[in-house]
Amino acid sequence: MKKYIIFALALFSLSAVAQDFDNDPTLQLEKKDAKFTIGARLMADAALYHSDFTPMQSGASISDARIRTSFTYKDWYLYADFGFGGGKFSQKNIFAQWSHKTDNGDVHSIKAGYYNDPAGSMARNTSLGSYHFISRPGSSYALGEGRELGITYKYNSDKFMAYQGVFTENHYNKIKAGYNGITVAGRYLARPIIDENQTLHIGVSARFAQLGGGEVYKNILKKTYHMGQTMETYVDDEEQFVNADLEWANTVTNVGAELLYHNNRFFLRGEYFYKHVTKKRDTYSLMIDAQDNIDGWGSLEAWENANKLRANNFHGGYVEAGVILFGNGYRYNKSEGVLGGLNGKALELVARYNYTGLNDLTDGEYFNAGRGHYYAAGYMEDWPGTGATSVGGGNLHSATVGLNYAFNKYVQVMVDYTYHKLKSDYHPNDKNFHVGQARVQFTF
Amino acid sequence: MIKNLIRLGVAGLALVSLATSCSKEQQFTSEKTDAKRVEVQVLNADLAKVRDYVPLYAVIAHRGSTFWAPEETESSWRWAREMGADYLESDVQCTKDGIVLANHDENLKRTTNIENIFSENVPTSRVNFYMSLGFSRADAEAQYGRDMAAFRPFYALSYYYAELLMLDAGSWFNETSLEQSRPAFQATQNGSFTGGKIVYSNGQYISALQDQIAYAEGKRLIRDAEGRRVLTYKIKDEYQGMTLEQIYNAIKAKGQYNAKYMDFLEYDFENAYEADPQDTGNRPGIYVEFKESWLNPGNMEQRVYDVLKECDWNIIEKPATETAFYKSGKVNVGNTNGKVILQTFSFDALRRANDVFKGRIPMCYLLWISEPAYATDIAIDDPTGYAAFIKWAQDNGAHIIGPAISGAPNNYPEMNAPWQAYMIRKSGMINHPYSFDSWAQMCKYMGYYNYGLETEFDDLLRLEIPATPYTTASYPSSVPVYMDGFFTNRTEMSLKYMIENGFRGNSQLPNPFHAGQVYDNSQANVTVPDAVETLKRLGY
Repeated sequence: MKKYIIFALALFSLSAVAQDFDNDPTLQLEKKDAKFTIGARLMADAALYHSDFTPMQSGASISDARIRTSFTYKDWYLYADFGFGGGKFSQKNIFAQWSHKTDNGDVHSIKAGYYNDPAGSMARNTSLGSYHFISRPGSSYALGEGRELGITYKYNSDKFMAYQGVFTENHYNKIKAGYNGITVAGRYLARPIIDENQTLHIGVSARFAQLGGGEVYKNILKKTYHMGQTMETYVDDEEQFVNADLEWANTVTNVGAELLYHNNRFFLRGEYFYKHVTKKRDTYSLMIDAQDNIDGWGSLEAWENANKLRANNFHGGYVEAGVILFGNGYRYNKSEGVLGGLNGKALELVARYNYTGLNDLTDGEYFNAGRGHYYAAGYMEDWPGTGATSVGGGNLHSATVGLNYAFNKYVQVMVDYTYHKLKSDYHPNDKNFHVGQARVQFTF
Repeated sequence: MIKNLIRLGVAGLALVSLATSCSKEQQFTSEKTDAKRVEVQVLNADLAKVRDYVPLYAVIAHRGSTFWAPEETESSWRWAREMGADYLESDVQCTKDGIVLANHDENLKRTTNIENIFSENVPTSRVNFYMSLGFSRADAEAQYGRDMAAFRPFYALSYYYAELLMLDAGSWFNETSLEQSRPAFQATQNGSFTGGKIVYSNGQYISALQDQIAYAEGKRLIRDAEGRRVLTYKIKDEYQGMTLEQIYNAIKAKGQYNAKYMDFLEYDFENAYEADPQDTGNRPGIYVEFKESWLNPGNMEQRVYDVLKECDWNIIEKPATETAFYKSGKVNVGNTNGKVILQTFSFDALRRANDVFKGRIPMCYLLWISEPAYATDIAIDDPTGYAAFIKWAQDNGAHIIGPAISGAPNNYPEMNAPWQAYMIRKSGMINHPYSFDSWAQMCKYMGYYNYGLETEFDDLLRLEIPATPYTTASYPSSVPVYMDGFFTNRTEMSLKYMIENGFRGNSQLPNPFHAGQVYDNSQANVTVPDAVETLKRLGY
């Protein structure tokens, strides 16, 4: 079945080459100072996977279908979009923004609602519809952050951008126990070069989250922090190969650095991510709860040695480059501090290297795939427990090349090939992955 | 040009799609496929040499028998020996005075009358027991207090071996196995502390490892006129003249392995046995399991090593001179280098056994699974997890994998499905599944799994079993075989099955570990004694 779907997409894209849909379909209603717009986006992907051992599900999928609306009134801008991709309705961005432009062109804005964390990564702050690859880099998912509910203040000039705010942990406050944690985050850019033809921006970001929500475990609040990424694809969007759940997480600190340069024909951008997760638990209560049989622990020290806890550190990053083979040149979105998408008819060649490091292994520990555990002793033990602190979320190197063709500013086709090299104790037989993908994308 | 480039790219992707769709690429995770794809570590030459000490298609008498007689007692092991089992299987525990027991349960309530003999406290006779050894009352009472601190009611490790000989290890069987009950299994007199000394009971006893070895050698217990075993004990020479406190401190100073044990007594096992008049000449080996590592001293493996050495059953110290597993219709495994096989579920015990035995005695690593996974269970029971456990076992000196099998009455989890048996075979390790209780189970794993139909694993598991004058099976000679020997509670039934289906008494059996070679067990007995008559002949 999948081959027919792929053929259908391929035939469509071939026939569409000769056509030109260069129009402006966005519905706009204007009345005095008010303006209402409505638009939509659709992304349909086809993907072929080849893995060493664990199969991935090749096929085709509507990876994103979205309706967006906005309302502008004087200095106010209200925005909401909703997704239908994957056959499920989901709330995406929804926010209100007030902006004030000074006489010298600087912009001060306050934004409140549900939208991307400014320190979540440059990649996550770039709309997927404007991205130059079928998926954002995996490290931006595994180590970056996405949308959150909060309020931010942004100062933006030609040379600088300072964008910071406060967010909650869960936008629906649907946590099983505890309270809705709090996050402070900020992204800061300097633009030593910015003109109509080229931009160079360098930036740093930082984010601190005090986790508050979790579940009740043996009468104790247990907070777990999840990290993970897909294999940079949406057709099989499982995170089975690269993921980690950090039990007893307490705080999460993100630090990032970024660089972006583009001119009309070329762009280069990259980010580095560092994440530090601290842990906290009621050790004494857990030990007391474990004294449930004649083989008791005897002392708090014995239990702690068998159930060690330590903070974790993770790294990752990516570099992306692209070159326009023909057509309209690259644009910079100064308001968001990101690279824009293809603007009208163009053909570009892109390449990316991504590294995601979710292995935080403790020297000397042994892992057995039949137990799914690390052992601190360097070998398996019956008792008193593993005592291990390693996190084996997986280290992934990914290299992608892609070709994107925009028929006009509304319709685009993309083809990517990605090679992944995985090192994961939990997947000892999965080392090499080949991912071929194609996308047809409409935006209006 | 650009249009052509785009067309080329899309057409290329479509081609790749078509090629992949038409290929035999695996579309989902399947144990059947993965078992053949996963890399399995193969036994190295040193371990393979020791593997070959073990007879193929061995019948291992699980605890002697759990069906016909009280398990792991003189009666069950004598019976198994006389029936013609290749191995007498046991489990080792440790007493407070360091005697290595051949007994399954660490808690003695199930298989003895301990609740009738002792309270849930340190035996009140303990002070008198110490005094009977010549210690003062004050010294004995002080030691009693120390004993109390480390006491676990009814656990073997809390009692001296002499105290355990006061128990009746047979009456429980008569109460729970009514059809197989026999008056001779039950003691007629309980043990007691009488006349200033311990008086043993006069029935079936909790066995010491030395007892099990003696039964394998064709011996039986020496008993007095009242049927009580004769086993004297005394304070070891190194502790003579010391107080209990001094002994306690001296033992404690030896290190953590000895901290809670008072192994200052020695028992005269050399003079505890006599030739069994009912012995017909079978010399089976023993198959000894290390149990929960946290309930036994950390040097349990060394203690077993030492007992084997004392009994001349340690082939590292004294290699066997014979190689024939069968001679003139008699089992001769006990006179070969395959005389002792060790086994365990425990990670700790496997590792420590490797430290002590260094892979030079056949070792079986047993597999179990439960939900949630227990401390030593295989938690991820797929080919990747299975391969990881096989590697772990080999890296720690094991030559044999012992998977659980399904089926009544135990209804254990199935860990010897074709894909699992295939991975064991692929590793070059022996497969000893446990435990067989029925004819149906034997059929299943010795030819009739999947009704004997072809499976993807036949390349390694299908064997040609030539007919013998004793075979009565009507199935084809080519059958998938998912074991190389097995633990059974029904030795009589198992031997019958093996003989009737060509696995025993056959000079032309295939040797799955040495392609092209035959395995000859034609010297084995091809008639199976009657189980009940054998019990009667042995005096039960």
